[in-house]
Amino acid sequence: MIRGVALFALAVFMLLPLAQAIILSFTATLPKGGVAVGTVGLMNYANVLADPDLRASIVNSAIVVLLNVSFCIAVALPAAYALARYRFVGDRHFLLLILVFRVTPPIVLSLPIFILFARIGLVDSPVGIALVHCLFNLPVAIWILESFIRAVPREFDETALLDGHSGVSFFLRHLVPAIAPGIGVAAFFCFIFSWVEVVFARILTVTAGKPITMAINAMFGFQTDIGMVMAMTCLSLLPGVAMIWFVRNHIARGFALRV
Amino acid sequence: MRRYDSRAWVLLLPALGILAVVGAMPLLAVLNYGFHDIFSLQNVHWVGLQWFGDILRSDRFLASLGRSFLFSALALAVQVPLGIAVAKVLLTCGRWAVWWLMLCALPLVVPWNMIPILWLGLIDRETGLLGSALTAVNFDYKFTALHTWALILVMDTWHWLGLVVVLAYAGLSSIPPAYRQAAAIDGASRWALFRFIELPRIAGALSIVFLLRFVDSFMIYTEAFAINAGGPGDATRFLSIELGEEIKGFSYGQAAARATLYFLIVLSVVWAFVVVTRRREGEP
Repeated sequence: MIRGVALFALAVFMLLPLAQAIILSFTATLPKGGVAVGTVGLMNYANVLADPDLRASIVNSAIVVLLNVSFCIAVALPAAYALARYRFVGDRHFLLLILVFRVTPPIVLSLPIFILFARIGLVDSPVGIALVHCLFNLPVAIWILESFIRAVPREFDETALLDGHSGVSFFLRHLVPAIAPGIGVAAFFCFIFSWVEVVFARILTVTAGKPITMAINAMFGFQTDIGMVMAMTCLSLLPGVAMIWFVRNHIARGFALRV
Repeated sequence: MRRYDSRAWVLLLPALGILAVVGAMPLLAVLNYGFHDIFSLQNVHWVGLQWFGDILRSDRFLASLGRSFLFSALALAVQVPLGIAVAKVLLTCGRWAVWWLMLCALPLVVPWNMIPILWLGLIDRETGLLGSALTAVNFDYKFTALHTWALILVMDTWHWLGLVVVLAYAGLSSIPPAYRQAAAIDGASRWALFRFIELPRIAGALSIVFLLRFVDSFMIYTEAFAINAGGPGDATRFLSIELGEEIKGFSYGQAAARATLYFLIVLSVVWAFVVVTRRREGEP
């Protein structure tokens, strides 16, 4: 009984703000194109999809996230393997170092990152944002992948190497399939940072390459069409919901602090 | 057992390369700017420790520091126990648990700048679902400091509870049933079960939750600023909001000194945390 009430309260708490957004996204909130305020329909979604800036921002965000996830996984995989399988001079210092970078407040770094990236031409480019997000996602990816690799018995590596696989082909043909769920979970955590992040997205996009968060910001003005903002928000949730769905059975492996 | 082999460093090099470019170099640059007065990138004067002295002596800084620590303490005190409690309820849900986990994870994929907009929409007097109920109890986040704090705290809890629940659930569900059965045979109380069996198993996951939630709440910016821009008065002026003002005002030298201070504060808390964690792990 108490459990039922608790679960019900949880569901209401989690869904209420989203319900509000969904309701508004189907309601006309500004008189536009002969549609009266309060009309219910799909016009907000139609307006979002008809706007080239908003369409471009969805593509930009997708590129940022894809680049970021590929950078992080490609670089974190060897590092996580080293940490899971070997002891070496300074391994704990490395773990401490990535923890320090993960907890550095983004706003602290925003100014020098902008100056540095302006100098090497990475402002207004999805590559720049994807690289900066690595600072926060790489540590998490290393922690997650390390715990998954650790769960694979060492004999697994040795058998593959005895079978004549070289380092690279062992990684790609044996290790990656064995820890595929871990890669999914790591990708999920990279995604939930990169897709929704605001501080770096703002400073690194001056004129072009704006991701969804900045496109939504740009929709606020003298007369804000809040229904359209909510429609854009609801659309931006869809890839996240898909990500949650893909990793649902593995997300509960989680990750732990390693220092 | 892990083998000792220092050639493993080679595998860390790509990660170190990226971290050096996007982490170490900018950090050193911030440190350097903090000792200069910067009119433009070509017009820079050494001012030594002047900015640091100015900031540390100002009452506003100390007040903001206190507010940020208070907010972090409240956020952790609410979210961690609540997250563990939810995870414990979900453990009894069997195969439905995964659906509840997905529900809790939903707010994590909402764009950060939309989170305050969603909540402001929800409590809007005219169109919000909670608008009329909150008007009836005289809820006024614009002019009553306590209400602003409550709103930001509830919003932050909504946003991040999923992370606590997912990681706590991960730890709790990995406990073999035999442990709980043994505890039941010994007649352990529910508190003893939690304290001596469950808590040690989720300590690792909770440490990371603690650290992540500490830094993110300590440096809350996007969400807090959009609710009331630090108001009413200065009631929700957190550290990050002061830094944001300086960056917007182009006082880069001062902003860099401030950023360095914030980094050092976060670093000392994390360092204390790591020392405690290592000591606990070192115990037999």
